[in-house]
Amino acid sequence: MTTGARHWRPHLAAERKVTHLVDARTLLDPRVLLVTGKGGVGKSTAAAALAIASVRTGRRTCLVEVEGRQTMRALFNTEPWDFDEREVRQDLFGLSIDPEASLAEYLAMFYGARRLSRLVVNSTAVEFATTAAPGIKDVLLIGKVKEMERRRDPDGRFVYDMIVVDAPPTGRILNFLRAPEATTELVRVGPIREQAQSLIDLLLDPNRLRLQLVTLLEEMPVAETAESAQALTELGVQLNPIIANRVLRPQADAATMKVLADGIAADTLQTVLAGSGFDDPASAHALRHLGEQHLRRLGLQDEMRAALHEGVDVPVFELPYLATRSFAENEVSLLADVISAAVS
Amino acid sequence: MSDANGGGAVVSGLVQARSRSLDDVVARRHVIVCTGAGGVGKTTTAAALAIEAARRGRRTIVLTIDPARRLAQSLGLSRLDTAPRPVPGVDGLDAMMLDMKRTFDEIVERHATSPDRVQRILDNRFYQQLSASLAGTQEYMAMEKLYDLDQTGRYDCIVIDTPPTRNALDFLDAPKRLTDFLEGRFLKMFLSPGIAAGRFATRAVGVGTGLFMRAASRVTGAVVLDDLAEFFQSFEGMYEGFKQRAQAVYHLLQRPDSAFVVVSSPEPPSLREASYFLRRLARDGMPTAGVVVNRVTVAPGGHVGAAPTAELMEAAAALNPDDDIERATAVLLELAIEARAIVGRQQQAIEAAFHGLTPPRLVEVPLAGGDVHDVDGLRWIADHLTGATAA
Ligand SMILES: Nc1ncnc2c1ncn2[C@@H]1O[C@H](COP(=O)(O)OP(=O)(O)OP(=O)(O)O)[C@@H](O)[C@H]1O
Ligand SMILES: Nc1ncnc2c1ncn2[C@@H]1O[C@H](COP(=O)(O)OP(=O)(O)O)[C@@H](O)[C@H]1O
Ligand SMILES: [Mg+2]
Ligand SMILES: [Mg+2]
Repeated sequence: MTTGARHWRPHLAAERKVTHLVDARTLLDPRVLLVTGKGGVGKSTAAAALAIASVRTGRRTCLVEVEGRQTMRALFNTEPWDFDEREVRQDLFGLSIDPEASLAEYLAMFYGARRLSRLVVNSTAVEFATTAAPGIKDVLLIGKVKEMERRRDPDGRFVYDMIVVDAPPTGRILNFLRAPEATTELVRVGPIREQAQSLIDLLLDPNRLRLQLVTLLEEMPVAETAESAQALTELGVQLNPIIANRVLRPQADAATMKVLADGIAADTLQTVLAGSGFDDPASAHALRHLGEQHLRRLGLQDEMRAALHEGVDVPVFELPYLATRSFAENEVSLLADVISAAVS
Repeated sequence: MSDANGGGAVVSGLVQARSRSLDDVVARRHVIVCTGAGGVGKTTTAAALAIEAARRGRRTIVLTIDPARRLAQSLGLSRLDTAPRPVPGVDGLDAMMLDMKRTFDEIVERHATSPDRVQRILDNRFYQQLSASLAGTQEYMAMEKLYDLDQTGRYDCIVIDTPPTRNALDFLDAPKRLTDFLEGRFLKMFLSPGIAAGRFATRAVGVGTGLFMRAASRVTGAVVLDDLAEFFQSFEGMYEGFKQRAQAVYHLLQRPDSAFVVVSSPEPPSLREASYFLRRLARDGMPTAGVVVNRVTVAPGGHVGAAPTAELMEAAAALNPDDDIERATAVLLELAIEARAIVGRQQQAIEAAFHGLTPPRLVEVPLAGGDVHDVDGLRWIADHLTGATAA
């Protein structure tokens, strides 16, 4: 039925050229990526895509979820993720860290008796600890990541080459990153105090860990990204190139876009489509509207791209908006293709 | 396709929800709380509902939390100002920016027994951490402000926005959490095991208090106990007032002339959060008015919107790529195909999220051409919310 395809083939968004290619080869350089951004911009999606792209470069990778929302489980269509790292795809491990489990493991590590500590933890100890010193929860999460980053197999190799963390959103990320330091202020002695220092070392080492900001080319996310980029830099953490997600691409080449911009009259459309079944006035109206809307969105996006480049001095790497019927592992894998192309 | 196997009742529940708009809510409810995940359009929805309520002659105020800069300007607000201000060009509408930290300080000022105490609390490092990080505190502060405004009796309709949070449910628990916390349950447990032993033992059978204490102090190391102790001492005597007020706020929210509007984007993560929130509101006996799915993609009209996708593809393929107009027309057809794919994905996500739940109303607001940041843009949103324009 699509025999006419030899004339003209609808090009899917993902197949379109990446027009704003930046030097993104460094995207997968660090060993730990903390992915953050304003709520809903695609942090989890980007984290999953980065992890898949990392696996493809031959790295054993762990994708870590920290807020227990089971986003990854839905994305990969697997069993729920939990505190046990499990291989969800070849060389891709999945883990969902929750503070209770981290605390239990932590106690077990220092004091043995895992069963006992679980019991204690399930009582009000966590509530106590996290209420009395709210940063402790975050310290435990970062602590778990550090443990994984340092972990070696029997022949001395790091167990994970890459750890991608679907981290808290930008609204919370500063407190999250400051937690170890805040803890050294509140907690003056003891194991947590000692550990906090080693976490600060991890956070500030650009070869080991970087922050991955994700944004949309829309007003509020861009403003929040610019603010966060500055604050994070001041904090001393290294930023990865920023990912702009859901970027709309021009639907066609420049010449055709020009024709669209000039506008096609409704009756012209009806004539062109005569006999196709789509020459009704309502269709002509709808098509004109779609064209105008597409151009307007691209225009707005250009403004926002300019604002983003003005607001941050980090390269921006764009992932396309996927206008697909569904959004699941397959789509994430398409986004990973774009990342793979950029890093190779 | 999903209604083929016995999903009839569920679907008709949603169909019914879709047939009702927020028109009567704007016309009659006294308190309207807009809630949902971050970035979905809570602030926008709150402002639009408020403009519409004012248009109907109701004395209205909207409390906003983190408006986009240009929206704040349109509402006549600046970041530094937290007093109610008239919205330029909209009769009968005030807007107010909420500063959560400031609200918490005000509560301390109101309930503390002496000015000296107020200062001690505000200066306490622990208080500073707490007001920023105890889960639900920020949300709760918004509700406190709501209560204040209600008490003034100056408004027929109070529309309130909620902060973007990790967990949109936190604020329902916040009053309890706060009072629990301020009553020093944890502290008492920590400082005087004897007192807490009874309560604790019933909670964690088989684990002695001493053991708990040892574990807790191992975890915290030596939390600066002076700060903590001082903090709780300063709060002594405030608990009762605080608790009563928290109760009053809760009851205000539960009143039948209050309304919770759950805002969501048409993407699965925020829809999931919305459905979770609906359940939670029901559990707490809160008056849920309905769901707003914001920024939906609208199906194209005409045959382009109705015919099978394959026919659109065929029509596109049949056009001559060497002719400018025909090639451009093919691109428009391709845009239609994409729009329809997105509509399909969004509608499926909406059905899946609310499967088995029957929100009283379900309203869709289309994705606007650009940002919504002025009164005209808000009126456009309001028309969709009240059914004056169908999505
Ligand atoms: N490139 C893309 N193209 C099209 N849709 C996308 C794209 N990226 C993300 N989405 C859609 O946006 C939704 C939200 O993405 P995601 O869950 O990754 O956001 P998030 O930032 O992690 O959200 P939250 O703040 O709630 O954790 C996805 O479920 C998907 O439907
Ligand atoms: N229906 C809509 N169409 C297009 N843009 C919208 C729509 N609703 C909201 N927006 C835009 O989305 C952004 C986030 O909206 P906002 O109301 O601030 O979200 P929230 O308060 O939930 O974080 C704003 O820039 C706003 O202009
Ligand atoms: Mg997420
Ligand atoms: Mg908001």
